[in-house]
Amino acid sequence: MSFREILNSGKFAVTAEVGPPKGTDIKEMIHHMELLKGKLDAVNVTDNQSAVMRICSIAVCKIAMEHGLEPILQMTCRDRNRIGLQSDLLGANILGIKNVLCMTGDHVSAGDHKGAKPVYDIESVQLLNAVDGLNKGKDMSGNDLKGATDFFQGAVVTPEANPIEPQLMKFEKKVRAGANFFQTQAIYDIEKFKEFMKHARKFPVKILAGFVVLKSAGMANFLNNNVPGIRVPQTLIDELKAAGKEKALDTGMNITARHIKQLRDEKICDGVHIMAIGMEDKVPMIMEKAGLI
Amino acid sequence: MIITKKRDFKELMENIKNYKSFFLLGCSECATLCGTGGEPELKAMKETLEAEGKSVTGTFVAKTGCQVLGTKVELKPFKEALDKTDCIIVMSCGAGTQSAVELYEDKPVFPANDSLFLGNMTRLQFFDERCSLCGKCILDKTGGICPITACPKGLLNGPCGGCKDGHCEISPDIKCAWVRIYERMKKLDRLQELCEVTLEAKDWSASQKPRTLVTREEKKK
Repeated sequence: MSFREILNSGKFAVTAEVGPPKGTDIKEMIHHMELLKGKLDAVNVTDNQSAVMRICSIAVCKIAMEHGLEPILQMTCRDRNRIGLQSDLLGANILGIKNVLCMTGDHVSAGDHKGAKPVYDIESVQLLNAVDGLNKGKDMSGNDLKGATDFFQGAVVTPEANPIEPQLMKFEKKVRAGANFFQTQAIYDIEKFKEFMKHARKFPVKILAGFVVLKSAGMANFLNNNVPGIRVPQTLIDELKAAGKEKALDTGMNITARHIKQLRDEKICDGVHIMAIGMEDKVPMIMEKAGLI
Repeated sequence: MIITKKRDFKELMENIKNYKSFFLLGCSECATLCGTGGEPELKAMKETLEAEGKSVTGTFVAKTGCQVLGTKVELKPFKEALDKTDCIIVMSCGAGTQSAVELYEDKPVFPANDSLFLGNMTRLQFFDERCSLCGKCILDKTGGICPITACPKGLLNGPCGGCKDGHCEISPDIKCAWVRIYERMKKLDRLQELCEVTLEAKDWSASQKPRTLVTREEKKK
């Protein structure tokens, strides 16, 4: 079943991500793809994440397909104007890429080309509208396409954004713009996530909760202090501290697995998205611990 | 007003190293308020150049340096000083510099300042950018706060995921434009209109350069 069919069938979906490397040596990336093959419903391919220049997402999506994975093309509005974005979307679609995740994209000041001109000709909501248009055979100027796309488009949301109201306003605009599914920023507090889901359930969209595995108490504190929209509760930080340095990563994986299991058992959301960030080889183990495989 | 700051002096000296005499042209409007092209700054520049062994044939603070014809008339009494000078240093914005370029075709003209942005002066020597001169105002839809300018990504439909405790991912010194817009529209009881409307992709053709505008009606013959 395709990712779209899995979500539409009500099956609990599992996605993870592959970050394209910086440079043409893709041996390690292919190794990760082989580890993930057959275990995931789809794999996100990030788009110059954190504004750090890497191999483009479309090329890596194509390679993911060649290695038996269904890709979700992440597309940000940072590096291309509306002509470039639509053109790349058409190109991606003819390569067989069916899923696209529409995002605004981290600002260039976060990355390794700080002097680059950020584009942001359009933003995530307008990109979703553009994909919807391409699916209906029209470009953003209303011109007819010779052959429409058949994308399954999604977007991102930050359930623990502070303040939350403007974030929810944008979430609803994304729903109206045609988002079928959402992958969330990393969540660590299931009770708070349930509150978000109560709101999200009013809309006909699928929600995949995001996970970033905690490697240590230090990492948890770093996330709390530096990453917008992430809040690791003190109880989890204490749990990591108590585990000691050697067991911290195991404990972090156990926490992720425990949360995934709870979301699935209690049918809180429609799936999970595991962002391994350099620990792609650990994803199968987390899935095993969560009872997903 | 146009916010300017002094260019790196070494760069300016490199520009003018082959010239001996200079005419300094300031501006009584923005550059005076920015402290880059008023009487005190022209006086200081004159002294600095003289200390470097250069000569200054004259100085003048134009009323409005970007007003080409007005500046031309104002500079008439300085004809001799301007004829004598090797080149002109303009201590206002890029527009003022190019007024001098237009008026003195055979003189090299160098800018003493970098032109930064269209800004509001919030208090003495504090300047904020609030308008990007995009050519098609959307302030009517965003509670009077411009997200094209106040948001580093120029987002039109709400905050990105980089908003942290109401501040921008670029810098904790920047308050998230969309949190500000949301709060203001809430205070004005206009949230519904903010939430219900999705702004379409902006038509950037309105800021196609170079822009011109003629507002004078042609007299009927």
